[in-house]
Amino acid sequence: MRKLFLATALTVCSLNTFAEVAVIVNPANSNQLDANAIKKIYLGKSKSFDDGVKVNPVNQDGNSVADEFNDKVVGKSGSQLNAYWSKLVFTGKGTPPEKLSNDQAVIDFVSSNTDAIGYIDSAKITDNVKVVGKF
Amino acid sequence: MKKLPIAIALCGALTSAASFAEVRINGFASIVGGKTMDDDTTLYGYDNDISFKNESVFALQLSADLQDKLSATAQIVARGENDFDAEFEWAYLTYEFTDELQLSAGKMRVPFYRYSDFLDVGYAYRWIRPPQSVYNIPFSTYEGLSLLHTSTLGDWDSTVQAIYGGYDGTIAVVSVNGDTELNDIAGINWTLSYDWFSARAAYFVADTSIAIENDTDTGIALNNLEQTLRGAGFAEQANDIAIDEDNGSFFAIGFSVDYNDILFDAEYTEFEVDNSALAKQTQYYTSVGYRMDEWTVHFTYENNDDEHDSSRYNALTAVPPLNQGINQVLEGSKAKSNVYTIGTRYNFHPSAAFKVDFSRFKDDITDTETDVVAVAVDLIF
Repeated sequence: MRKLFLATALTVCSLNTFAEVAVIVNPANSNQLDANAIKKIYLGKSKSFDDGVKVNPVNQDGNSVADEFNDKVVGKSGSQLNAYWSKLVFTGKGTPPEKLSNDQAVIDFVSSNTDAIGYIDSAKITDNVKVVGKF
Repeated sequence: MKKLPIAIALCGALTSAASFAEVRINGFASIVGGKTMDDDTTLYGYDNDISFKNESVFALQLSADLQDKLSATAQIVARGENDFDAEFEWAYLTYEFTDELQLSAGKMRVPFYRYSDFLDVGYAYRWIRPPQSVYNIPFSTYEGLSLLHTSTLGDWDSTVQAIYGGYDGTIAVVSVNGDTELNDIAGINWTLSYDWFSARAAYFVADTSIAIENDTDTGIALNNLEQTLRGAGFAEQANDIAIDEDNGSFFAIGFSVDYNDILFDAEYTEFEVDNSALAKQTQYYTSVGYRMDEWTVHFTYENNDDEHDSSRYNALTAVPPLNQGINQVLEGSKAKSNVYTIGTRYNFHPSAAFKVDFSRFKDDITDTETDVVAVAVDLIF
C-alpha cells in the first residue's frame, strides 16, 4: 500500500513539473504580449495594454499553477513576491493582482472581462479565453 | 415570504456599498526580542534584560479606491516602545493623473533612504532593523505633498519622487524632547532599476528649528553657553549654537544588487544643519547576503562619523574662556562608531519570516564595544 501511495505521489509530482502554464486574455483582446510584457504586468510595472486599456490581472492563490507561473514567468519565489509587493502596498505605490482560487475561477473571470489577464494549467484551456503564451 | 424583504435589503446594502468604495485591509507585524550581552550596556533601546517590546510593531493599513483615479490610504501603527498605543502614521489621498504620474497629499514618510518608505515592514528586508548608523534621522513623517513619476527607459525603470511639506513635533536631538519645526521640507529622490540592479540618489532641504531643552547635561551646557554668549553681546556666535531657522540638508546615494541569489547593498548619507551645534554627519553601510531557497544569510558593516568643520573652531579668539567653551561644544558633538552585523532570515511561511541578528557596536571615541542579539518574527497579512 505504501508503495502504491508513493508511486501515485511521484506521478502527481512529475505531472506537475511537466505542466505548462497558459497565460490567457479575453477573446476580444487583440494585444500581443511576450513574456517580458506579462512579467511587467504581474509586477505592477505596466498598468495598461498596448492599446491603452487598463489591465486587470488576476493571480491564483498559492497553488501549484501560481508557483509554476511565478517561477517561469515572473522569476521570483512566493516569499520574494510577497516581499516585493509589501514594499509597494505599504507605501501606496501599488496593489497586487487579486487572487482567485483555481483555474475555473480564472477562466470565468477572463471570459467575462475584456480587460482581464490570467493564467491557468494549459490542459484546462477552453474556447472562452484566448491564449497569449505558454510557459 | 419573510426572506424576500431581507434579500432585497441585503441586495440594496451590497449595491450601495459597492458604489461607495472597496476598502482593502493589509497589515504587517514584527515581534522582536533582544538584549545586550553585557551588564550596564544599552543599544537600540535594549539593555541586559531581554525585551520583547522595544522593537515590536503592529500595523494595519486601510485603503479605499474612491473613484477611478482617487484613493485614500491610512496606516495605523502600534509600537511596543510606545506601549502599543495606536497612531496614524500615514494618512493621505492619492490622485492618479496617468499610469505614470500620481500626486499624494497628507501625512507621509520622508523618503530619505532606500528602505525609508517601508522601514517598519520587517518582512520586506533581510535584517531585523536596517543599518542604524545610516537609518538614524530622528523623525520620519511629514505633512505635505508627494509627486511620483514612474517611467521606462528601455529595459530600465525610473521612479522620480518630489516632496514638499513640513513637520511639527518633538525630536530627540541633544535633549530628550526638543520642540521641533521643520518648514519648507523640499526634496527629490530618483531610483533607476534594471532587473537585478538598482541605484538611488536623494536630496532634501528644510528650514530647521529644534529647541534645546534642559533635560540632559549636554542640553544644559549648550543653553548656558548660548545665553552667556548672547548676554556678552556675541549674537552671531550664540546663533551658531542654537538650532533656530538654520538650513538643514540631507544627501543620500546608494545601490543594490540581487543577482543569482547574491545580495549586495550600499548606501552613503550626509546630514548637516548649518550654523548650529549639530555636527555634520557622514554615514555609510555595505551589506552582502546570500539566499538559499527560503534561507538568507547576511553580513553588514556600518560606519558613522559626526564632526564639525575645522573652520568652526576658534570662533571667538578675542575672549579665550568663551572661545574654549565653543570649542568644547563642537568637540562634544563629535561621534565616531562602526557596527558589524551578522544574521539570518528564514521564510518559514509564504507570509512570515524568522530572523536572528547579532550586532557589535564599537564607539571609537570611548573605545567601548556593545553587543546586541535579537530574534524576530516578521509577517504581512
